[in-house]
Amino acid sequence: MVVKIRTVKDVSCPFCGTLCDDLEIDVDIKTDLVVEVRNGCQIGTRKYFSSNPSDHRYMKPLIKVNGEHKEVSWDEALDKAADILVNAQRPLLYGFSSTECEAQSRGVELAEMLNAILDNTASVCHGPSLLAIQDVGASLATLGEIKNRADTIIFWGSNPVHAHPRHLSRYSDFIRGYFRTDGRNDRNIIVIDPRYTHTAQIADKYIKVNPSEDYELIQAIRAVLRGSELDVKEVSGVPMDDIKELVEELKSCNFGVVFFGMGLTQSLAHHRNVDTAIRLVAELNDYTKFLLIPMRGHYNVAGANQVFTWNTGYPYSIDFSRGYPRYNPGEFSSVELLLRDEVDASLIVASDPGSNFPAASVKNLFKHPLISIEPHKTPTSAFADVILPAAIAGIECEGTAYRMDGVPLRLRKVKDPPGDTLSDKEILERLIEKVKEKLGE
Amino acid sequence: MSLDNLILLTGRTISQGVALEGGKASRENVRACGICTFDADDFKKLDCLVGTPVKVITDYGEVVLYSTITEEGPHQGIIFIPMGPWANQLVNPSSQGCGTPTYKGMKAKVEVVKSGKVLGAIELIGRLKEA
Repeated sequence: MVVKIRTVKDVSCPFCGTLCDDLEIDVDIKTDLVVEVRNGCQIGTRKYFSSNPSDHRYMKPLIKVNGEHKEVSWDEALDKAADILVNAQRPLLYGFSSTECEAQSRGVELAEMLNAILDNTASVCHGPSLLAIQDVGASLATLGEIKNRADTIIFWGSNPVHAHPRHLSRYSDFIRGYFRTDGRNDRNIIVIDPRYTHTAQIADKYIKVNPSEDYELIQAIRAVLRGSELDVKEVSGVPMDDIKELVEELKSCNFGVVFFGMGLTQSLAHHRNVDTAIRLVAELNDYTKFLLIPMRGHYNVAGANQVFTWNTGYPYSIDFSRGYPRYNPGEFSSVELLLRDEVDASLIVASDPGSNFPAASVKNLFKHPLISIEPHKTPTSAFADVILPAAIAGIECEGTAYRMDGVPLRLRKVKDPPGDTLSDKEILERLIEKVKEKLGE
Repeated sequence: MSLDNLILLTGRTISQGVALEGGKASRENVRACGICTFDADDFKKLDCLVGTPVKVITDYGEVVLYSTITEEGPHQGIIFIPMGPWANQLVNPSSQGCGTPTYKGMKAKVEVVKSGKVLGAIELIGRLKEA
C-alpha cells in the first residue's frame, strides 16, 4: 500500500525551552497520523507520535459521575466546570507552561474575573531565578550570541544531555559559530554538579560540588575573584587550588556564559543561589564578557512569565482575591497555598501537578473539585471531576511560544486535532463565556 | 540490608522525558521514574541484585522503587530519583519562604524490600486521593 505523505518543515518543537525550530514532520494524508519526525530529540519525537490517538489520549469531554468518568457534551462539561469555579471562594488556575501565549492570556482574563490565584510552573522550577533577577537584574543574551561568540560555557546544576537534548548541538557546545569556527574545539565546557552527569562526562572540566552547597562555592569564587585569600583548604568539597584555577580560566576567556538549572533553584538556598550567581557574572564583566541564561524546562514557561507580566505586572504566583493583582510567591505559590489547604477548587491547564508537586500538597489538591484541560491521561486528570480534552499546541494548533532566552517563535499546526478536542485557547474562551453567564455579566 | 545518611537528589532524565510523553499511566513510566539510582560502591553495601525493590525513606515520606546503579557516578552518599510521582513522595515541600519546594538535598535512608511492589503512577497518586 502506498502511503501519501504531507511534510511540514521548520516546525518549532513544543517540548523544552530550547524550542528547536528545525523539525520536519511527515503526516499520512489519509489517516492524519504522524508517521515520521526528523531532527527532533528522543523526547520531542515522542511528543509528536503521542499526539496520535491512543488509549491515554482524551477525545471527548468527561465528567466524573459516581467515581467513573462519563462522556458528555462540551456544553455540559463547560457548564459543570464554570459552576465549580464560580462557587469557589479561592480557586487556583495553574499550569499554562505547555501551551501557547494566547491561551495563557485567556487564563489571565479568567483568573481576574474569578478573583482567583493564577500560577504557572515557574513556581516549582525557575521561580527563584525570577525572584533573583527582580532583586539584582541579570546579564542575559540570546542563544544566537552564545552560538556565535561564547568560548567558555558553564553548566551549573543543569544536565542538558538529558533535559535539553539538542541544546549542546544547536547553541552551546558542538555548533560552529561566526567566531567559533571550529565548534566544540573552540569552546571550553565546564560542568559544576554533585553528580558526574552525562554532560559532565563530555565536558573539559568537571567540578564536583557537595549537594546544597552551591551558594558557598559561588561566594568563594567571588572572593577569589576579588583577590581575597580564604583560610580554608576547600569550599563545598572543592579544593581551593581548583577554585583559583577556575577563576583564572573565567577571567581569561573571551566570552563566557553560565547556563544554570534546577541544581541552583530547587536546592536549599533557592533564589539566594541565583542572586549570587548573577552577582558573580556581573563581577566577571570587570575582566571579560560574561552572561547567564536560565535553562527553562517547559517550552513556553518563559512565555507564561511574559504573558502574565504584561497583563498583571508579575510573572507567576499572582493573587487576584482583592480584585487587583498581588505578588508574593512565598505566600501565593500553588504549593504554599495547597500546603495551607487554602484552595477550594482548581483548574489545571496543560500541566500535571499530581505528578510534580510534593505529596502533601497533592493530597490537598485532591480534596476539592478539580478541572483538567489536558490532552492525555495523567495522575492529575485521572482524578479530575471535569476533563476538557485539549488539542496539543504546536502540533494540532498554532500559537506563539518564548524560547528560554526570551525569543518568541511561531508554533505550527501540523495536523488536525483528533476527536472532539479543542485548542486550549478555545476551551478557555468558551469557559469565560460560561463564567460570565453565571456571574450575570 | 539498609543504608543510612544518604542525600537524595531528584531531577530530569531523558528516559523520564520520553516516558512522560509516551503515557504517564504506562509501565514504561514506572521503569523510567520508579527507580532509585545508587553509586556503584554504595550499591555493593546493599548486597542485592540490580532491580531489587528498595524502600526509600525521608522525613517527608517513603516509597518503594526499583534499585539500579548510576551511569552518572561516582557519587558516593548520594541517591538519585528521576522527577515524578515517586520522587515527590519523598521531597521537602518547604520552600523556605520563596514558593518553590526543596526538591533536592533531603536526608534519606534505604532498605531492601525483596517482596515490595513498585506502584504505577496513577495507583501511587491515587493513594493521596484516598488518604
